[in-house]
Amino acid sequence: MSASRILTVFRKDLKLGPRSPIFLYAVILPVLMTFVVQVAFTSLFEPAPRLGIVDRGGSELAAAAEALDGIAVSRPAGDAELRRLVEANDLDAGLVLPPGFDDDLRAGRQPELRFYIGGESLASNRVILTVTTLDLVRAVEGRAAPVEVVVEDFSKGTLPLSARLVPLIVMYALVMAGVFLTAFAVVDEREKRTLDALIVTPVRLGEVLLAKALLGFVVAVAMALVTLALNDALGSSPAGLLVTVVVAAAMSTALGLVFATAARNTQMLFALIKGTGFLIVGPVIFYLFPEWPQWIARIFPTYWFIDPLYRVALQGDTLADVWWELLVALGLTAAAVGAVVALARRMEARLAAE
Amino acid sequence: MTRPVSHTALVAAIVRKDLREFSRDRLWLILTIVGLVMFIAVFWMLPGTVDETISVGVTPPDLAETLIGLSGGEGEGAPAQDDAEGQAPQGLEVVRFDSEDELRAVVAGEADGPDVAVGLAFPDDFAGLTARGEPVTVTVYVESGVPAEVRQAMESAVREIVYFAAGAAEGVDPMDVVPVRQETVVLGEDRAGEQVSMRERMRPLLAFFVLMMESLALAGLIAVEIQRRTVTALLVTPASVTDVLAAKSVLGTTLAFSETVLMLALTRSFGAGWSVLLVAALLGAVIVTGTALISGAAGKDFMGTLFLSMVLLVPLAIPAVTVLFPGSTATWVKALPTYGVMEAFVRVTSYGESWAELWGPLALAALWCVGVFGAGLLVLRRKVRTL
Repeated sequence: MSASRILTVFRKDLKLGPRSPIFLYAVILPVLMTFVVQVAFTSLFEPAPRLGIVDRGGSELAAAAEALDGIAVSRPAGDAELRRLVEANDLDAGLVLPPGFDDDLRAGRQPELRFYIGGESLASNRVILTVTTLDLVRAVEGRAAPVEVVVEDFSKGTLPLSARLVPLIVMYALVMAGVFLTAFAVVDEREKRTLDALIVTPVRLGEVLLAKALLGFVVAVAMALVTLALNDALGSSPAGLLVTVVVAAAMSTALGLVFATAARNTQMLFALIKGTGFLIVGPVIFYLFPEWPQWIARIFPTYWFIDPLYRVALQGDTLADVWWELLVALGLTAAAVGAVVALARRMEARLAAE
Repeated sequence: MTRPVSHTALVAAIVRKDLREFSRDRLWLILTIVGLVMFIAVFWMLPGTVDETISVGVTPPDLAETLIGLSGGEGEGAPAQDDAEGQAPQGLEVVRFDSEDELRAVVAGEADGPDVAVGLAFPDDFAGLTARGEPVTVTVYVESGVPAEVRQAMESAVREIVYFAAGAAEGVDPMDVVPVRQETVVLGEDRAGEQVSMRERMRPLLAFFVLMMESLALAGLIAVEIQRRTVTALLVTPASVTDVLAAKSVLGTTLAFSETVLMLALTRSFGAGWSVLLVAALLGAVIVTGTALISGAAGKDFMGTLFLSMVLLVPLAIPAVTVLFPGSTATWVKALPTYGVMEAFVRVTSYGESWAELWGPLALAALWCVGVFGAGLLVLRRKVRTL
């Protein structure tokens, strides 16, 4: 093995890589997925009630509503615009506050409050907005509530859906770069027969594979960190996070080499990854459904790097909390490397015979 | 001696050849069959109804009436409409609990019982305390995963119940307890309790996936023919470039159309507006075939063709994705080629609309068909001639 030859092939791949569609997939799609998941899917599965307020007299109620958690408040230009938005289901409900609303309220004159409800709004959102509006009115009225409310929360640290989707996006970044980019780089060279040309030079097949793996590894580490940063999931232990990402990228790249040495052409590679993809992405599903028996996720090999990543990035764990899972991941990586060695020998024999 | 062969026979012969090739390509054959089965299975696995209720446990049980009245239903101070189980009219399911301990255990998941997300525990002597004007403490139990707005609303509801109870103790008219005169107006058709389910909303996207799969398969087939230059072999037979293009178009459109119709049939989409759905499926098939002609002609290898296909197909998926979200559609989305097709899929199946409402978007889709398909034919014709 020659480090300089590996670096030469790596530099060549790094130079030509960005021209490959798969390289673009690996770099662009995790960013795109972050956008889709954070913007679209959270509003799809956990839609916040949407309230429009037309305030004709500078009421304190409008500002108080905007400060509420979990309610999306907007301020349409006028009554007609508010009605249009509510009717088109761009808002769940709309409020019209007349001039002098606050003064009338405090003077006990029961001012008029027009409340538009969209026909397509969810009944639960109607209840939330009706009751919350009434509470805001009380707050503006200024009377002290005749009750003390004590809240006992049984959440036990369950993260919101948007956070539980982060493992899915990071896994995607790791799979695209570590598995797909590595495997495709090898198979593409094999298909175009440039691999034949490479191995008649002093470069050995093992060095070519290592160079390809290095490219996949570097992109996987970079994209995993970028994806975590975009999702605001960098945790509180930078060293722990970096070590975990490195282990995750190493295992993904090793899996990529298994596919690279097993597939004879792009179509076979595509079919292999499609066919076994559930083994790779399986564990991330369990974060979406915390009520499922979580022990099942441990059956999947990638669980052993994605779970430490989830805990370090999102739950504040450190390396001391996840070290043994990472050791299992490294053991599995070593097993994958063993398989690669055997498959590479078979590949070399086939290349010689072709 | 040569026997004249009709163009129809030539096109049919090329289609038969392509179908044979398609059936030999295990990757696309498996992906087509598995994809179709998977999309239909996903459709039936998605929830067919919309959960619009917040389930709330209340103790002591007699306060359930007040909560129902407050939520817009009819409870205390107005004729009760709930049944023996304490069902509020809509939006709120109120479950009565005999004791705070039982309520707390159920919300915490420590005991079996009715599924409640939030528990409101008022003191046992609530009426007495409010009548005497003494301080009241109410505990709100919140289960894991309850959104902030629901929690806020339940805290607000507790305060409001206490206002009502205090007002009742002082003999104040319930209408005067509320400090505003609220006029509520429902705008648009009131679909409370009959919302379009996630299953219905996903139908256009799943149909698009079927169309997309066929577009990718056709693009792959054309790309292979270009790369291996078998198309030039075809041209030394009596078949002309036009025959080859016609055959690819017929094959792509037929496969995409028939699979979409099959998918729509197996998801029980056909009803009164069946003719609109058939036309929409045909327009969708023609559009994706046009994109397949472009990507198949321009792709240099398997991954290149796949990449180019995705670049062309992703914008076409946007109208199907926007259906998933509430609210009106942006004007630029309405201008996309597949908007009319996807709109027809959702409007016919979920809202029972017909030609009268949908002819406009479908006419625009038909115009796009001409453009996309024409561009596809042009690109492929040029490519074939340059070989």
